[in-house]
Formats: sequence, C-alpha cells, structure tokens
Amino acid sequence: MQRLYIHPLPVRIWHWTNAVGIVLMILTGMQIRYVGLIDVVSFRTAVNIHNTVGFILIANFFLWLVYYLFSDRIKVYHPELSPRKHFLGSFRQAYYYGYGIFRGDPNPFHVSIYRKFNPLQSMLYQIIMMLVLPIQFYTGILLWDVKRFSAQVDFFGGVRVIDTVHVLIFIFLIFYVLVHIYLGSLGHTRAAHYKAMLTGYEDVEEVAAGTET
Amino acid sequence: MVTMMDGCNTLLKILRLPWCNGLVIAAFAAALAIPPTAMRPAFAAGDAPSAADRRCLSCHGGAGMEKNLEDGSTLSLHVPADMFAKSVHRPVGCAGCHSEVDLAAHPPAKKNIASARSFSLTMTQVCRGCHADKFDQWESSIHAALVRSGNAAAPVCTDCHNPHAVIKDAATKIDQIPCKKCHGDIYAAYLESMHAKARLKSEQSYAPICTSCHSAHAVKPTALGQGPQAACFGCHADALEAHQKWLPNAALHFEVVSCPACHAPDAPRKVDLMLIDSRAQPLGTEQVGVPVFEASAQSGDKGIDAPALWKLLQTLNRSGIAGNVVLRGRLEAFPGPQAHRLADKSKAISDCRTCHRAGSQAFQSVTVSLVGPEGRRVEYGANSDVLNSVISVGSVRGFYAIGGTRIKLLDLLVILAILGGIGVGVGHMTLGWIFRRYGLPSWPFGGQGGGQGNQPGGGEGQKTA
Repeated sequence: MQRLYIHPLPVRIWHWTNAVGIVLMILTGMQIRYVGLIDVVSFRTAVNIHNTVGFILIANFFLWLVYYLFSDRIKVYHPELSPRKHFLGSFRQAYYYGYGIFRGDPNPFHVSIYRKFNPLQSMLYQIIMMLVLPIQFYTGILLWDVKRFSAQVDFFGGVRVIDTVHVLIFIFLIFYVLVHIYLGSLGHTRAAHYKAMLTGYEDVEEVAAGTET
Repeated sequence: MVTMMDGCNTLLKILRLPWCNGLVIAAFAAALAIPPTAMRPAFAAGDAPSAADRRCLSCHGGAGMEKNLEDGSTLSLHVPADMFAKSVHRPVGCAGCHSEVDLAAHPPAKKNIASARSFSLTMTQVCRGCHADKFDQWESSIHAALVRSGNAAAPVCTDCHNPHAVIKDAATKIDQIPCKKCHGDIYAAYLESMHAKARLKSEQSYAPICTSCHSAHAVKPTALGQGPQAACFGCHADALEAHQKWLPNAALHFEVVSCPACHAPDAPRKVDLMLIDSRAQPLGTEQVGVPVFEASAQSGDKGIDAPALWKLLQTLNRSGIAGNVVLRGRLEAFPGPQAHRLADKSKAISDCRTCHRAGSQAFQSVTVSLVGPEGRRVEYGANSDVLNSVISVGSVRGFYAIGGTRIKLLDLLVILAILGGIGVGVGHMTLGWIFRRYGLPSWPFGGQGGGQGNQPGGGEGQKTA
C-alpha cells in the first residue's frame, strides 16, 4: 500500500464544513417544515440557524471554488470527454458496486492525485457542485428575504415555485447524504475513506497508483 | 321685492345652497312678516334661535309632535329647542334646510310621506347643499353602495347625524360615535380593545376610534385589501422596523398577513385568494363573467378545489381579459367583532407555530374573490386543499406559508428519500451477508460478470484491491 496525499487541507476544511453544514441544514429544514411533528427547537431558532448556516455554506462554496480555480488540482474535476470511455467506466463502476464487490473483485477505479473521482463520482459531483448546490443557495437566498428579491421571485413564478425547487433539492440531499455516508464505508476497510478525508492520505495499491491515468 | 330677493340671495350665498329655491325662502320670510335681512341675526345671535326659528319651535319644540306616515309608522316632528340652540345648525335656521315649507299653508292639509326612510333619503340632498365634499365621500362608501342596492338599513346622513342636535366633533367621542347604532357587536368588541382602553383613559389620546381607520364618510369594505393596514401604519409608522427585530421575512408578513390576524388573537383567520390582473389590480366580476366563475365554484363539494382553480386560471388567461391573471393570497382575520378586539402587543400572536404547522386553523378556510360592481368583495368558497395541492404550485404560486401550506406530495418524497437513503446501505449490506452465507449467483447478463459464481465477497473488511 502506498499513501497518497489526495485531499489537501483546504479541500478537507471545505468538505467537513460542508458535511456539518448540510446535516445542520437538513435537520433545521426538517424542523422548519415539520413544526408540530418535530419540536426539538423553536421554529424561529430553526430559521435563524438555517439562515446562518446557509450563508456559511455559501461562503464555503466559494472557498472550494477559489481553491480549485487557483490550483492544478482542478484536474480532478475535468470531465471525461469521450462518451464511450465515460459510459464504459461508469458501467464498470456500477457493476463493481452492484456485483463485483460481493465477489471480491478489485475496485476498477484507482485513485491518483489528479484523478480521485471514479466516473460515477465525477459525473455526480459536477452536477452537485455546478448545478444542485448553486440552485439551492440561490433559492435559499430568495426565500431568506422574499420581499427584497420579489422581482426575481416573481420572475421564476412566485414564492411557492421557489420553495418547491428548494424542497426538491432538500429531498435529494437527504438521499444523497445517507448514500454518501454508506458509500464512504466501501474502502479497503470500512473506515479507510473516512480516515483519508480527515488526514488527507488515501491508501492506494502501489502498482495501481502508478498505472492509472 | 328686490330687497327681499337680495336678502335671500345673500342667504343663499352664505349657505351655499344652490338647490334652494329663492322664491320659497322669500315666501317663507314673507309669511313670517319678517324682512329678509332680519334672518341675518340667526348667524350672530348667540345661542338663542332666531325669531323665525323660535316661531317654528313654538310648535315643534313640544314633545310628542309627530306625523302619521303612509307605511303606518310615525315621524317625530319634535325638535328639542335646547339641543337645537346648541347645535351647529342653529345659525342655518329652520328655513335653511326646510325651504320647501310653505308657511302660508303650514301645516299643509295633506302632505304624504311614504316612510321615515324615504323622507331621510330625500333630505339627504339637503345636506349635500352645504356638505358637498362629505357627501361625495359618502357616495363612494360601502354605505352608499348598500343604499343604492336597496338596503333599507344602510345609513344616510341623518342616521348618523341628528340634524337638529348635531354638535361639532360629537363623532369623536367614544360614547357618542354613531357607528355603534348598527355595529353594536363590533363596538362592544372595540371597547375591549387596547385602543378603546387608551381612549377611555384620556379623550386626548390619539388612540383610534372607528372613523380613524374606516374614515367617517368614505367607509370602504375592509376586506378589499390594505386600506385598514395603512391606517395602522398612520400611527405605527415604525411597525416594520420593530417587527424586523424578531420576525424573519417581516416585510413579506406585512404584505400577506393583515394586522388583526395576529393582533386580534381571538379572531378566527382565513385565507383570501384575490384574482388580480397584470397591473396588480383586483379583477372585477364584470370582467370575469360570473357564470364562468360560478361553474368553477360548484365543481367541488367544498367549493373550488385545486384542479378547478387551475382550470379557472387557465380559462381566464386564455380569454385574455386582463393580461396575466394570478392569485394574490392574504391571511386575514374574519371580518367581525373579534377582529376589532385588538389586544395589547404582549398578547399578540408571536408563536410561529400558530400558522407554520400542518392543520393550522389559519388555512382551513379559503375564499377566492373578485371585486363586485360597487367595489365590494365577492367571495367564493374554496376547498382548503388548494393551499396544499401540488397543482397549486402553478395556481397559488405567490402564497405559501412554510409548514402550514406545504405540499403533501413532497412529504411523501421526503419519506421515500429517507427510506431510500437508508435502504441503499442496509440493502447493500444485506446482499453482502446473503451472498456470503448462501453464495453469489452467477452474473445474469453474461459478459464480464460471470465466471467466479459462488465465491463469497463483500461485507466487512472487503478489500478493493
């Protein structure tokens, strides 16, 4: 096993701030939406926490954006431009998670410093970071002060439309976070990826690390 | 005669009575054998009625004088002399308003008056002669609209102002406000409000009385929007700033929630969805065509339901009668006594859960409204599901209370997301356990999966390399 420095400090700070923040947003979001069913904190407290954490997450997003824009590590987000290669890679990865992993097959994807996402992750994370989260931040800001942004709220069809989009992404993120936590346990040990996200170092098969492109 | 006419014209000028027939006045004065100029002392004779008025009062000042009317009722002809002497109308004198009286033949042998109401309606025009501005305001009021629609109880001038005893600023006295004659229940509720309490403590108080919010003459239906709220801000100019200190989205709350909805905590609440056009003006019944609306209103058992509301908006927008028609939602206190029992702010609703939870009373009663011909709101009952249906994302797009009017279908998706999110992990681990215990079936699709059939794998300690 070789230890590779896959997750630099800014990325780890961003990741764990995001992790704690999104969990807090989900919990306070549940409290806000289900007052009466859930009464852990008051509605107003939940709204205040939700707003504050929301702005922290927006700032955190820009930390991520600025870091990658000014770092050569942005290569990890470079998309696979060959649809055929991308499709085959995705299929191989899906096959691994759905069948090969039970048989003891090796993970078809091998991590390197400039290529840390498997084809499924690569596609999903780009959608999340460039589409899902920005939309969630934007709708959140509109809902934070509906009157101030009433022209934009009206442009998109009204507060109920904005809220519905915000809630649909909220629902997706609930699903995503739960699955993300589970998939994080599918390293060479259950705790391997969690540890790597704390220390920055992934344990990588030496030969694989050298050959994977 | 020229002198007499001059005097009369002077009187007309002072009284601003263009409707007066000068000759009648002249005849009135002549019959009293008083030179017209002698009527002038009526404007400057202290508290005592003029000689001419005293002559009228010699008969009409007696209690119990009345006239039988055609409808079988009686009309009191009694004018309490002492009250008239204190009245602001004393300088005008009897003839100022009763110019039609021909003293040469008074009392007339026969003067038929159908009813006290018809007489009041006729005399309203006399008031207009001097009080044209107030009369115009009244004409724009809900009271006048009701009169025009034939409502026999709707007030005209004399229902609120006793013309023989009218005193300046009487209507500002809390115990003399005439509104209580018809709106007794609302007045009783008002007396329990913090506004009345402040006013009872001191008549110098700025605390509002009926006319402060509803105006004295141009009384408008409160339900038509934000007029009463503007009245609140007339005194509570810093209300928004004060609410912003604790209320998230305070400006939005001010736009979609009426003040009494929170500040009259006992009042039941309702949501009104008003149809508005591209210029944010309420749609009138004459634009929409009420039959079209009635058909929608009758489509559901409990009034307009979500699909019917959607169809209605589609129909209105396709017709192009008013540009892009949308619904403007507003949470209000039910009009009525309880909405006037405005509590001290310490008792106002500040618990968000009152509205922001499923099943809140505030969202159980819903109306869809238009504006009728006289500016009155015409309401159609709607099923409360219009606030919770997924269809309403398109129709009730501008009104949404987090938690309170949430879309039920999204709740189902939340449950699926949680179960699905947990299910992926649990299912995957369960498969791993099953395959370890019973062996792995061969890859069903051929190709790369086959080959190592029953080899156990996955689960705890699974190695990826």
